[in-house]
Amino acid sequence: MTTLDHAVIRRKAKLWDRLYPYFSVLLPILVIGLFTIYPVLYAVRISFYQYILTKPKVHPFVGLANYIEVVTSYYFRNSLINTAVYTVAAVIGITLFGLGVALLLNSKIRSANALRVIILLPWAIPAVVGGLIWKWILNSDFGILNGILYAAGFIKEYIPFLANPNLAKLSLIMAAIWKEGPLAAIFFLAGLQLIPNELYEAAKIDGGGGWKIFRHVTLPLLKPIILIVVIYETITAILVFDLIYVMTGGGPGDATSMISWFAYAEIFKNLNLGHGVALAVIIALIILALILAYLRIIKYEEVVG
Amino acid sequence: MGITLKRQIGSFFGNLLVFLLIIYILGPFLWMAIASFQGENELLKRPPSIIPQNPTTDNYRYVFTGEIPTAYEVKGQLRSRISQEARLIAPALKNSFIVAIVVMVINLLIGTPAAYTFARINFRGKALWYNFILGSRLIPVMAVAIPYYVIIKNLKLLDTYQGLILIYCALTLPFTIWFLSMYISNIPREMEDAALVDGCTPFQALVNIVVPLMAPGLVAASAFAFMTSYNEFLFARLITQSIKSQTGPVIIASIAGNPDASYSLISVCITLGLIPPLILAITMRKWLTEGLSASITFR
Amino acid sequence: MEGSSIWKKLLVLLVLASFIIGCQPPAQPTPEAQPPAVEETQPPSEAKPVELTFVTWSYGVETIADNIKKFQERYPNITVTHKDYSWLEYHDTMVAAFAAENYPDLVYGSDHWLQEWASAGWLVPIEDYCPDVKEYSAELAPYALEGMTYEGKVYGLSYYADTIDFVYNEALLKKAGFDKAPETWDDVYTMAKALKEQGLQYPIIMAWSQKEGAFPEAWTSMVFSQHEGHHALFDADLKPTFNKEGSAAYQIMEWLVKVYNEGLFNPASLTTAEIDQVKAMQAGQAAFTIFPQYNMAEVNKPGSGEYAGQFKIALMPGKSHATVGYVRFYAMTPGVVNKGPEYIDAACKFLHYFGGKTDGQYLVVKRWAVENGLGFAQLPLYQDPDVIAAFSSWGDVPTIEQQAKLARSKEGLTTWYGAWDIFARAEIHKAILGETPIVDALNNMANKWLELAQ
Repeated sequence: MTTLDHAVIRRKAKLWDRLYPYFSVLLPILVIGLFTIYPVLYAVRISFYQYILTKPKVHPFVGLANYIEVVTSYYFRNSLINTAVYTVAAVIGITLFGLGVALLLNSKIRSANALRVIILLPWAIPAVVGGLIWKWILNSDFGILNGILYAAGFIKEYIPFLANPNLAKLSLIMAAIWKEGPLAAIFFLAGLQLIPNELYEAAKIDGGGGWKIFRHVTLPLLKPIILIVVIYETITAILVFDLIYVMTGGGPGDATSMISWFAYAEIFKNLNLGHGVALAVIIALIILALILAYLRIIKYEEVVG
Repeated sequence: MGITLKRQIGSFFGNLLVFLLIIYILGPFLWMAIASFQGENELLKRPPSIIPQNPTTDNYRYVFTGEIPTAYEVKGQLRSRISQEARLIAPALKNSFIVAIVVMVINLLIGTPAAYTFARINFRGKALWYNFILGSRLIPVMAVAIPYYVIIKNLKLLDTYQGLILIYCALTLPFTIWFLSMYISNIPREMEDAALVDGCTPFQALVNIVVPLMAPGLVAASAFAFMTSYNEFLFARLITQSIKSQTGPVIIASIAGNPDASYSLISVCITLGLIPPLILAITMRKWLTEGLSASITFR
Repeated sequence: MEGSSIWKKLLVLLVLASFIIGCQPPAQPTPEAQPPAVEETQPPSEAKPVELTFVTWSYGVETIADNIKKFQERYPNITVTHKDYSWLEYHDTMVAAFAAENYPDLVYGSDHWLQEWASAGWLVPIEDYCPDVKEYSAELAPYALEGMTYEGKVYGLSYYADTIDFVYNEALLKKAGFDKAPETWDDVYTMAKALKEQGLQYPIIMAWSQKEGAFPEAWTSMVFSQHEGHHALFDADLKPTFNKEGSAAYQIMEWLVKVYNEGLFNPASLTTAEIDQVKAMQAGQAAFTIFPQYNMAEVNKPGSGEYAGQFKIALMPGKSHATVGYVRFYAMTPGVVNKGPEYIDAACKFLHYFGGKTDGQYLVVKRWAVENGLGFAQLPLYQDPDVIAAFSSWGDVPTIEQQAKLARSKEGLTTWYGAWDIFARAEIHKAILGETPIVDALNNMANKWLELAQ
C-alpha cells in the first residue's frame, strides 16, 4: 500500500518535474505572445492589402504592391540614407563616448568619481523629455547654448541649430549620444572591471606603454562587449523615433526624416496603413539581417579566435 | 622628472575631459532646474540669465496650488494664458510610478523563474521559445501600435493602469529574461546540483540558492523594467485618455506642445518628472554595473 | 542562442499567419454610419441619465470645464466627461482611437481633417441627426461653412473660426521711418531691408516648423493674397495649377527665397512653433509675421511686453489682400448614433449649447471671443457690443472685419489634404533652403497631389 503511494507520489513528482519548465515560462510567453502573435499577424496581413483609412469600404488584396510602392518612393530612399547616416554616426559616437567614459571611470583620475555618480542620469529619463530639453537648449531665439556662445563672444548671431539641415542632423546625433552613451559607458565599465589586474601587470612588465596595453590587452578583451553595444545601439538608432518626434518632426525639409518616422507618418498622417506596415516589416527584416550578421561575426570570432 | 611632468599633463587633460563631460551630461538637467526658478521674462532675454536674477518659487507654487505667479500678471514677454495642464504633473507622476513599480514586481515574479528555466533546464522547444521571446522585440512599434490599441480596447483596459502594465510587461519581460538567464548561466551550478540531488525541486533550488546569489542581477533587471515603463511614451500616449492613467511623459510632452505653456512651467514639470528616475539612477548605479559585469562574463 | 532558430521562429509565424489570416478578409473598421433619418419623436423622458464623452485639444481646459459645468446645470440628466490631448498630438491620437473603432461621442474637428475623418466614417453629418442645426448656416461666414461641409452635408458647429493675419510692429516701423503699413510683398521686402540696415537682425519671422499647425495656412494665405479671384492653387477639377512658372505660388516662393537669402527672414522660422513666434514678436526680435488672429489679444495685452499695443493687423499684402479663413468645430461621431436616440438627443443639446444659440445668444462662442480673443464665424457677433469692446482692446475692428470678408477657405480640402499638407511642408522648406529649385519643389508638390488623388 504505502509503497504504491510512494510510487504514485514519485510519478506525480516526475510529471511535475517534467511540466515545471513549461509552467515556469508559460506566463511570460502568454503575455509576450499576446502582444506579438496577433499584432504581427495583423501587420503582415495588412501589408498585403490596400488599407487606406479614408477608404474604409475597399480593402483589395494587392500582393506586394505596398512594398513596391514604398520602396520605389523618393521618401524611402531619402529616409533610408538619412537613417544610415544617422545610425553610423550615432553608433560610432556612442561607442567611442562609452569607451572613453568607461576608461576615465576606471582610471585613477580623482575627479572621475563625480562623473561616476551622474553618468547614468541621461539614460534614466524619458527620451521624449530628453528631446524636449535639447530642443529648448538649441532653440534659435531663446536657447541657452546660443546664449552662452553669444555671451562668451564666440558667435555674433544666434545659430538656428535645428533649422539648418546639417546642424539639425548633428544636433540629433549629439542628443542621441547624450541619451544612449551612458548605458554604453556602464556596459564597458562592467567589462573593464572583469579584466584581471594581473593581465595589466604582466603587460607592464613586458614593457607595454598605455596605448600598447589598451590596444593589445584591453581592446581584445572588450570585443564581445563592443559587439553587444554596437548591435544594441544599431537597433536603437534604426528605430529612433521619440527624439525626432519632439526635436525636429523630420525637418527642416526632410533632412531628419528617418525610416521609422516615415513609417509613422504613413500610418498617422497619410492614413495609409498598408504602406506604413509594409515599411515596418521592411525595418524588422533589416534589423533581423543585422542581428544574423552579428551572430555570424561572433561565431567567426569564436572559430578564428 | 620627465615622467612626472608627463603624468601631470596627462592628469590635467584627464581632469579637463572629466569636467567637460560633466557639463555635457549634467548641463541640461541643471538648466532645467535653474529655469524652473526663473520668471518667463528672464528666460526669454538674449542671452538668458544662467544665474537667476530674481529667483522665485512661484512656478512651483502654481503647479501645486494653482496660485498664478505674479510674473504672469505683471510684466514679461509671456503668454498671459497659462497651461492649466501643468497642474496635472503630480498625479501623472504618481501614475507613472505605480505602473512602473507593478511592472517591475511582475518582471521579478514571473521573469526570474522563466530565466532560470532557460538557463538551467532542458525542455522541448526551448531554443524556439527563447528566440521567440527575444525576437518579439524586433518588431518596430509603429507597426503594432494599432493592433496593440485593439487588444487593449477589447480587454476593456483603455485608460487604465492594467492596460499600461500589460503592455509594459510584454515590452520588458524579454529583456529581463534574456538578461537574467545570462546572469544565471554565469553562476557556478555545483550548489544547485547538490540541492537537486538532495531532493529539492528546481523551483526550490532557484528560491533558496540562486536568488540570493543574483541580487545585483535582480536589481539591474528591476531598474531596467522600471525605467522602461516609467519612460515609455508612444503607447502611453495612445492608450491613456485622461489623468486617471496618463503618465509623466505624456503630460510633459503635452504641456511642452501646448500653445499655452510657458517655459517656466515646462521646466517645473520636467524638473519634477526627473526627480524619481534621477534618484534611481544614482542609487542603482553600483548595483547596475555589478549586475552587468556578472551577466556579460563570457564563457 | 543559435541564429538559425530565429529563422525557424519566423517561418513558424509565417505559416501560422497564413493559416489564421488566409480565411478571412481584413476586418472592416467601419462604423455603421448610415443615418437612419432620426424620427421626430418627442425627446425621451427627461429623467433618463445620459453620459457623453467629449474630446478636445488642450486649450483653455478650465474654461471648457466651466462651460461643461454650466451645461450640466441646464440639463441635469446629461453628464459630460471631458478628455484632452495636446494640439500637436491630437490628430494622431484620434486617428489611433478611430481606427480601433473607439469613438468618443463628441470631438473637436478641424476643416483640414474633415474630409479625411468624414470619408473614413469617423464623423457623422450632424444635420441628419439634429435637423435644426442648419438654421445657423445662414449666419455663418462662407469660409467657415465650407470648412464644416463634406459632400453637401454639415458636419459641425463652429467652436471658433479665424483668419490668418499679417501683423507688423508699428513702433519698429515708425523708428525706421515708415508710417504706413505695407500693401504689397515688395513693400514688405523694402521695409525689411531698411529695418535690417538699422540693426534688426531678422525683420521677418514665421512659425513654420514642420509640426506647426498653421504653417500651410500661412503659406496658403500668402498665395491667396498674391492671386486675384478663386483657384489660386487648383483649377475647378482640383488639378494643381500652382506649379506653373509665374503662378502666385511661384511668385511667393521666389519672394521667400529672396528674403531668406538676403538675411531678412529668420532662418529659425523653419523650426519655430507658434509659441516661440509670439514670444519673438513680443520681444521685438522681428517686425513682420503671419499668424492666426487670436494671438493678437496676447501680443497686445497691456503689460505683456515693451511693444504691447504696437502690434497691428495689415490686410494681407499682395494683389487681392485675400487670406485664409479656417474653422475648428464641434463634431459628432458614430459612437453617439450607435447608442441610440437618447444619446443623439443629448449630443444635439450639447452642440446647440456649445456651437449654437442658447436663449438667442451664441453663449459659448461669445465667451471664447471675449475672454480669449478667439475669432468667430457667426457674423452677427460683429455687432455685439461686448465683442466689439473686447476686440478693440487688441485690434482695429474694421480691419478685422474687412480681412474676415476677404477670407477664403483653404483650396483643395479633400480626403487627402492632410497627407498632402505634410508633404508640401517639406518641399516648401527645401525650396527656401535652396536645396531644391522652386520649380522642382512645386512640381513635386503637384505630383504628390495627383498621386494621392487617385
